[in-house]
Amino acid sequence: MKTDQTKVLIKKMQSVIALILIFIVASVICVQDGKNVFLDARNLMNVLRAVSENGIIAIGMTMILILGDIDLSVGSVVGLVSTGCAALMVWNGLGFIPAVLASLLIGAAFGFFNGICITKLKLQAFIVTLASMNIARGLARFWANGVGIPLTYGKGEGLAPPQFEVLQMRINGLIPVPAIIFLILLLIFHFIMTRTRFGRQLYAIGGNRQASYLAGINVDRIKLFTFMLCSMLASVAAMIHAAQISQGGPNEGSGYELNAVAACAIGGTSLAGGKGTMLGTLIGALILGMLDNVLGLKGVNSNLQLMVKGFLIIIAVFMQAERKE
Amino acid sequence: MGKVLLEMKHISKSFGAVRALKDVSIDLHEGEVLALMGENGAGKSTLMNILSGSLLPQEGEIYVEGQKVSVTDPVTAKKHGIAKIHQELQVVPELNVAENIFLGRWFKKKLPVVDFESMITETQKYLDMLELDVKPTQKVKDLRIGEQQLVEIAKALSLDARILVMDEPTSAISEKEAEKLFTIIRRLRSEGRGIIYITHRMEEIFKIADRLTVMRDGAYIGTVNASETDTDEIIRMMVGRDVSEQYPKDPTEKGDVAFEVKDLTYTPAPGSFRRSLKNISLKVHHGEVLGIAGLAGAGRTEFFECVAGVHAREVTGEIYIEGKPVSIRKPGDAIRAGISFATEDRKGSGLVLQRSIGENISLPLLRQFSKYFVMDLKNEGRAWEEQIEALKVKAPGSRTLASALSGGNQQKVILARWLLTKPKLLLLDEPTRGIDVGAKAEIYQLINNLAKAGMAIIVVSSELPEVIGISDRIVTFCEGELTGEFLQAEATQEKLLHSATK
Repeated sequence: MKTDQTKVLIKKMQSVIALILIFIVASVICVQDGKNVFLDARNLMNVLRAVSENGIIAIGMTMILILGDIDLSVGSVVGLVSTGCAALMVWNGLGFIPAVLASLLIGAAFGFFNGICITKLKLQAFIVTLASMNIARGLARFWANGVGIPLTYGKGEGLAPPQFEVLQMRINGLIPVPAIIFLILLLIFHFIMTRTRFGRQLYAIGGNRQASYLAGINVDRIKLFTFMLCSMLASVAAMIHAAQISQGGPNEGSGYELNAVAACAIGGTSLAGGKGTMLGTLIGALILGMLDNVLGLKGVNSNLQLMVKGFLIIIAVFMQAERKE
Repeated sequence: MGKVLLEMKHISKSFGAVRALKDVSIDLHEGEVLALMGENGAGKSTLMNILSGSLLPQEGEIYVEGQKVSVTDPVTAKKHGIAKIHQELQVVPELNVAENIFLGRWFKKKLPVVDFESMITETQKYLDMLELDVKPTQKVKDLRIGEQQLVEIAKALSLDARILVMDEPTSAISEKEAEKLFTIIRRLRSEGRGIIYITHRMEEIFKIADRLTVMRDGAYIGTVNASETDTDEIIRMMVGRDVSEQYPKDPTEKGDVAFEVKDLTYTPAPGSFRRSLKNISLKVHHGEVLGIAGLAGAGRTEFFECVAGVHAREVTGEIYIEGKPVSIRKPGDAIRAGISFATEDRKGSGLVLQRSIGENISLPLLRQFSKYFVMDLKNEGRAWEEQIEALKVKAPGSRTLASALSGGNQQKVILARWLLTKPKLLLLDEPTRGIDVGAKAEIYQLINNLAKAGMAIIVVSSELPEVIGISDRIVTFCEGELTGEFLQAEATQEKLLHSATK
């Protein structure tokens, strides 16, 4: 009995254990010239900063996956919104707040489009978002004539509002603002998933759509709202991304949707729906980010890095899978 | 009695810390139907899964015709002449009837070409045998559940097995179809085959079984000859105590009309294989239990779905709750109007299996248990505990996953959910299907108590003695129409059957 409980606990905590293991291994192998380049405060903060964009997208993806759907368009939404907010600020002279609101609105509108196609036209999320992924990308390139819009901060024509630069700053020169935004959002959505009606409804719909419908839950409305939330979170990531690279690029964000799915899957979210947690997704995103960082520090060829990540995802999902005796 | 065909000796099996089977031994003779009885969780299915190679025992031996065999997987089981009809349908919906029956052993002309013509001819033989009116080329998804189950049976017959295991083969088919099945079972028996038959339906035992073996809590209890026993003794063996009154029924005070439906007509969208309904009108009073009898596919479930707001766009007619007309456009409207619908398919449309019992109970009432979108966990938790207590759900706690419960306890969780909504009208679709005798008795008692407390209840059940036993009044459905109405006192199985097959 005792060993069974321990087994269950280990299974539950295995992504945390994996995270700790990677952390320990990284701490040991990254010593160069008597200096630990991994355990350096600035490096660890770099990990957090690098994780935050994918993490914010993965928050939305977690909810979508719990519903039993998928959103492949988030990467293109990052491209569209980073282009859009740069264009609105630099070309149309929008201030900081209007630009942020407009960016969120673009995301919401896009999520609304996805959601309507899925709930009202009864199309599969995979197909709808595969299509809208192209729509968003095309729109972004059309908007920016295919080239990036550089962000230079200041007051006056052609300059972006200086407040926007905050998104790439560090508090005390150390803690990156994106990481703070990510962690705050994560806590909010952790609360939403565990303590609110909306969270309950998500798990119920993903676990058994028909039962939820018969229990009076407005399945379509919840789905629509979740797709809007997911695209809006992608918009937040898009603004951070634009600030980080100091330009809005229509080609940015490609492949982000799969990184987000990977973070969710490593964190124990089931692609079959009904199962997953925000904390799991945090762990998943950290594992991916830390791995990137360590492989980078060790100077591993970036193509090899991709392979390592790919195998890691397979191992992680294999470990999560529930198997019969 | 023929010679011994199969012996399972001292079989034990544990799942983790749970001992599912404890030193169980059974035997089966040639030309015999052995009924395997026991409550849910008694270990019948586990034992049969071991026989058919889906599970491996930790201890014990299996002998076929005196030879010790080791059944490691379903393919080996087939080699030893063992075939099993599963309780849960195992058909491939997108394939046709013939392809399903010969799944995994399609006829080949020359590799890799499949010989569909002879497969279809061969399939027709089995369909004729079962008098099943479907074409071998029809896709299985287009068949009714009952017909799908018969396809499953045809599949087992086509295996030409010496030892045939049938796990609740009649759970989804009509009485008429069951009769056909019994004829076939009798013929198989006369050919010298051995059949192990699992069922919860007592009357079937006496119709076809020669001997019966009873299991309880994973242990062998005893074997008796069917001709030398009766229902009471079997139930005693199964539950380990006397269950004297099978259908508790107290006289209730019939109150005002709680629910009335006028001219309910349902026209399913083209392509749907649901039954259409024509001009159904009926009333239920407070404190009254109305039974709906009918064959599978008579439109009883569709009627419930329409009342519960599932097909609002395709339904016409008027619904009144306590005399006031209500408009029901979606399930939420029905719940708010005081109509709660516990579906037949507990796993498919009832429970969210990977969530807790508690969350399943409060599913329709999330709004009531939340303030500004945030769940009021204290209040909700209290309601969970009360409901679990009130319905005697056997579980470690309200946070236990619904998937961990037995069928009877799952059904209680569903009832707990719908009773928490404090309905004026409770719709129960096959509330006792596939659950054990003990839990059945509890559910009958619950229905009785609810009616006494003034609730109006409509029960759909395919078991005629049950409908008659628990209802004050019974209506019959046939092909989407209401064809008869009987008071409990005047209803007999023959009358109901006659009225349901017009």
